[in-house]
Amino acid sequence: MIARTTLLDVENIAIRFGGVQAISGLTFSVHNHELLSLIGPNGAGKTTAFNAISGFLRPSSGRILYRGQIINGLKPYQIASLGLVRTFQKTSLFERISVFENVLIGLHRHAQQKSWESLLALPRVAREEAELRDRANEIISFVGLGSRGGGRAGALAYGEQRLLGVGIALAAEPQLIMLDEPVSGMNPTETIRFMDMLQKIRQRGISILLVEHDMRMVMAVSDRVVVLNYGRLIADAIPDLIQKDPEVIRVYLGQEKKIA
Amino acid sequence: MHQLLQHVVNAILLGSTYALIGVGLTLIFGIMRLINFAHGEFYTVGAYMMFLLVMVFKMNFFVAIILSVGFGVALGAALELLLLRPLLKADMDTTMIVLIAAWIIMQNTELLVWGGVGKAINSPFPVQPLVIGAISMSWLRVFVFAIAGLLIFGSHALIHHTRLGRSLRATFQDRETAELMGVNVGVVYTATFALGSGLAAAAGALLGPVFIATPSMGDMAALKGFAIVILGGLGNFTGATIGGFILAFAEEFGASYISSGYRDAMGFLLIILVLLVRPTGIFARVDRIG
Amino acid sequence: MKRAFIGLWLAILISAPLWMGKSYFLHVSIITGIFIIASMSLNLLLGFTGQLSLGHVMFFGIGAYFSALVSLGFKLEFGDHIALVVPPQPVWCGFLAGIGAAGFFGWIVGKISFKVRGAYFVIVSLSFAEVLRLVALNWVSLTQGPMALINIPPFAIDIPGIWQGKLYGDVPNYYIVLCAAGLSYVIIRRLVGSRAGRAMIALKENEALATSIGIDVTHYLVLASIVAGAICGMAGSLYAHYIGIIDPDVFSFIYTVTMIIMVIIGGKGTLAGPIVGGLIFGFFPEFLRGNVPPEIQWIVYGGLMIAIVFMLPEGIVPAFKQWFRVLRDNAAAMWSSRKQAAVKD
Repeated sequence: MIARTTLLDVENIAIRFGGVQAISGLTFSVHNHELLSLIGPNGAGKTTAFNAISGFLRPSSGRILYRGQIINGLKPYQIASLGLVRTFQKTSLFERISVFENVLIGLHRHAQQKSWESLLALPRVAREEAELRDRANEIISFVGLGSRGGGRAGALAYGEQRLLGVGIALAAEPQLIMLDEPVSGMNPTETIRFMDMLQKIRQRGISILLVEHDMRMVMAVSDRVVVLNYGRLIADAIPDLIQKDPEVIRVYLGQEKKIA
Repeated sequence: MHQLLQHVVNAILLGSTYALIGVGLTLIFGIMRLINFAHGEFYTVGAYMMFLLVMVFKMNFFVAIILSVGFGVALGAALELLLLRPLLKADMDTTMIVLIAAWIIMQNTELLVWGGVGKAINSPFPVQPLVIGAISMSWLRVFVFAIAGLLIFGSHALIHHTRLGRSLRATFQDRETAELMGVNVGVVYTATFALGSGLAAAAGALLGPVFIATPSMGDMAALKGFAIVILGGLGNFTGATIGGFILAFAEEFGASYISSGYRDAMGFLLIILVLLVRPTGIFARVDRIG
Repeated sequence: MKRAFIGLWLAILISAPLWMGKSYFLHVSIITGIFIIASMSLNLLLGFTGQLSLGHVMFFGIGAYFSALVSLGFKLEFGDHIALVVPPQPVWCGFLAGIGAAGFFGWIVGKISFKVRGAYFVIVSLSFAEVLRLVALNWVSLTQGPMALINIPPFAIDIPGIWQGKLYGDVPNYYIVLCAAGLSYVIIRRLVGSRAGRAMIALKENEALATSIGIDVTHYLVLASIVAGAICGMAGSLYAHYIGIIDPDVFSFIYTVTMIIMVIIGGKGTLAGPIVGGLIFGFFPEFLRGNVPPEIQWIVYGGLMIAIVFMLPEGIVPAFKQWFRVLRDNAAAMWSSRKQAAVKD
């Protein structure tokens, strides 16, 4: 039996802005080596939850713990430094520079050089720069953008841009990566390739918190699924049980997507 | 005590023209998202037009004011159409460069045409001040106050009670949505820039006779305009109006009770203080920071 | 190919005093060089970190005044009983003081710019510079106000036993400025190509993304500001010791405008941009000088700025790079098609 350690603990958080109670009483956990999916109709509060966990929003009550440490109240870069990295729903890249440089920036956490060392052009720095370049290339191949490294990030096709977004997040060496609708806008082939990549990410020991609308993918890759509706958690179970949960079916009834 | 009251009155009279400058600048920023570096030059243009019309062409003072403001409006519209419209898609730095270039060209043209020596502009008002109790005010300044107030109310009415004004407000809220709803953003931009420039020209036309007209008078006016806009919040009409008065008060009282050499610095010190405490200005409710 | 080009450039620069003939051109070169250094520092903030600071001249002025005051000696009086007296220090001391003070102000500006973003920051930085100008103007007991600080000593070499001497004149100062410019270029280039530099570019291009992958945006903003401030302060100090006189006009907005023109015309965000822009705007006026009144000169610059903004929006250096690339591609295509034709025969 594998010991289950909890990476992320969301404890009873509530978020309100602009007079709207976006999230209330949300509690769930992500365990080590797990892939947890967060689903729910549009506006259910999934991205809001992401924003709260990653430090872009402050919950009005409740706590969020990462590896036992309270992280609500920390700045986003501090949370990322702890190993919790997120991607964005609306593709967020450094559009005017090359794909390669995008990933190189992502390796910021990995790199160790101090600013003064760079100014003096110490050989250690040159060695590290070479290592960073190798790593960047490796990540670019890993996400499937092997031939596109030199091109401008903004010039990539939409699906490729989303892959780059994941690549940048991976470069930041997360233990827990939060993916916000990574396959939205991808065709079925691209989606299947992405699911393979998710497997490879998990093989590297990285845990995943996934927000997605593509139910087939969610049910196929997740260890557990958490369902949100109007900012409240309505179910938290393995995919099989979620598909049979009457509350969940009711929430999704009348929507285009079928759950099986 | 009457000294205090005198300061208050001075500040109020001056504050109205500061408000004019500030309102024009804040409108341009709020709606067009531009820092208008040429704003001070429209102020100067207003003053020099008055000189030209009143002293050279011997025109009626009041008619000259109307014409000067009109010229400011026209020049503003022309500048927008020629220089800013083509750069609609460009980033802030680029438009900033162009406006700085316009500022350089305008000021040096004025230097070339009028020379560096200040020009006095005569007004038809009596030289003896109006004395009410212990307070004395020059007739000219009272007139300036009245006209400035009129123009501010007029602009406010334009923005809140006309169709054009509605387009302006819509563009201020959300340019993309406004465009989708059929607002002609080009017209909005031209109108905004023309209006803002016109107000600056009005301030210059009104203050030209009070002080004198010099080619570099616009620089201080512009810098103070920035101070006012910061105080009131970028894009905030009412804030700019009140900000104009606050600046005038700070200058008037700061100069008298602290040090007169630093009079002009009052505005800047205010800005820095305000921004350290409340980074979006005293009155700003909406913060959309560029 | 590129190395040959750079080597040629360096040879021209280093040998310049020998063939420049009239000392006047050397003087222009020195002033241009000083402004190029200042523009490179502005480029670090504006082009690489995305901070539009219209008060950049403040670092120049601070560097100038601190350096001058330390090397002239000064007295600060607090009330009737307390006075801080600093006797004249060697020039290199003043030089370092100027750089240090400017760097310190860079730190302040960096911290402020984080609290106050976008257009607000543009205006507040402008105000800061104006306040400093007014302080320099009014604090007459310290700065001599509009009467100017005069007799500022030039750079001097004082190696006991080996060589002692003041470096008057254009030739030594030319080399000092050249070295300083080279040093600044190297510093900026290394910084920009490093992890810190990438962080700065990241914060300029997409701040939310940068912070989400662990980049402490404030830290790098402040770092950029300190380095930019210090380099600009160095330029100010060089100016003070070369010209020998400074007055509150060293805080004028027009200098910021000049730097911005150089950076944007040359190409912001490129390393060579400020240099190219600086050379153009440093030397171009000299062709107009004498025949043309200054007002018309400025009108011409204004027109030129607008022309370049409309025709070469990225600046001259990126445009050149583009042409070069096209030329090279065309040449390569021609070459390979010729080879093919030759093979066929």
